[in-house]
Amino acid sequence: MRFLLHVGLVGLGVLAAASTARAQSDVVEGPLIRPAASSSDPRDLSGVWFIRLYNRQINSTLGRLPPFTEHGKAEWDKRVKAEKDGSPIADASAYCWPHGVPRVMNSPYPIQIIQTDGETTIVHEVAHNIRHIYMDQPHPQTITPTFLGDSVGQWEGDTLVIDTLGFNDRTWIDEVGVIHGKQLHVIEHIRKIEDGHALENIIRIEDPEFFKQPWYARITYAWRPDLRLTEYVCEENNRNMPVNGHTVAQ
Amino acid sequence: MMCPSATQKPAARLTALVLAIAATATSAQPIYHPPPGQNFEGVWLIQGDHSAIRTSKGKLPPMNRAAAAAYAAHVKARKAGKPDFDTIQTCKPHGFPRILFAAYPIEVLQEPKQVTFIHEVHHMPRMVYLDRTLPQLEDMDPNWMGLSAGHWEDDTLVVETQGFNDLTTLDTAGLPHSSEMRVSERIRKLDADTLEDLITIDDSKTYTQTWSTRVTYRRQPGRRLKEYVCTFTNPEAHSSEPAGGG
Repeated sequence: MRFLLHVGLVGLGVLAAASTARAQSDVVEGPLIRPAASSSDPRDLSGVWFIRLYNRQINSTLGRLPPFTEHGKAEWDKRVKAEKDGSPIADASAYCWPHGVPRVMNSPYPIQIIQTDGETTIVHEVAHNIRHIYMDQPHPQTITPTFLGDSVGQWEGDTLVIDTLGFNDRTWIDEVGVIHGKQLHVIEHIRKIEDGHALENIIRIEDPEFFKQPWYARITYAWRPDLRLTEYVCEENNRNMPVNGHTVAQ
Repeated sequence: MMCPSATQKPAARLTALVLAIAATATSAQPIYHPPPGQNFEGVWLIQGDHSAIRTSKGKLPPMNRAAAAAYAAHVKARKAGKPDFDTIQTCKPHGFPRILFAAYPIEVLQEPKQVTFIHEVHHMPRMVYLDRTLPQLEDMDPNWMGLSAGHWEDDTLVVETQGFNDLTTLDTAGLPHSSEMRVSERIRKLDADTLEDLITIDDSKTYTQTWSTRVTYRRQPGRRLKEYVCTFTNPEAHSSEPAGGG
């Protein structure tokens, strides 16, 4: 009984702390448990990972807003205002479309990395986005723009470098209002950190239409061998189906 | 990494240097290579039209009376151009095993403990876990693709899948199933470029006996899965992609 009471009080404390943190910064804590580290091979990224310190507004390494062009800033302001006014503008995910890159790498759902001959595949639980990263080869000469773009990867030391371009302009970079155009070019540097307990992804974002210069975001993911991806079907009972481009919560 | 030592003979130094270069080559990473007979990796495409599946003996599956009535209604609705029963009309998943019959490529990725099938249609993944057994049906949350566990019997991948909702049909025509359905598969290579899947349906609420059907897939060298985006939820900008199929 005493034990239960103790657990209950700790639970309340955690809840209170969590709600405070959420109210202040929109930050959701990642998993608190820390299972054994992933394989000791620095180039073995295979397995399930889960974002830590998820933030709706992508964590720019500048610690502030990206270096918007006038156009980028206007689009940001428009989205922030629409949300504040209670009628948020719908991003691709609200339509159940693929989330785009790097947006899909900044999602509070587990991801599974699969490494096979010539390809690194990232299966995302959220809306079953799947990234195909073709290894050690150039981008095709002609690329039809897509939501997730065309990704090629290579190892530089123990860092997996992924170069992605060929995007359409329907996705956002974060969930708040950093958006992009078709010139978006994303370079990710992914490596194991913390003795294999976590992955670090340093994301270089370039799009001269929206940003005055390239900028960086940093996201880390915890190693989660205890998790398996579950089925996520956005189209089933989508409570946020946009109406005239705006999300309507039901 | 060891550096070639100055005391080594030239040939040994050269070998060491070559090894050192090989170790830093861009593609060096731990990749699992399945035994040749069990290697299904690559992109595959179904052969033939399986929009109205039949048993391995070419017959209509042995439906009970209620299932036969539901099937007849589905066929009639499709003929009338109003196949409301069909989940892919609204971009919901095909469900399993219907997705196996879709006329879109499938990519197979293999790891020691997991075989992953990525279906281009609806960019749907199916994980077949080789290191777990299926829970009891009553302990499972029903979903569209079920949960798959498999093991190797020589060069045949044997997969059991269950835990389905009852919203989907087994094919485009509309063969029904219940949430108690259990699907068994025996997947093997007939030759280097042909994959065979023998599919057995066990659903006593719908069928008077278990029955099997067979499909083959042809290897698609060099083909990559395309991004498939179902457009039902996209009233503002329809793409040229079909809304479903298969």
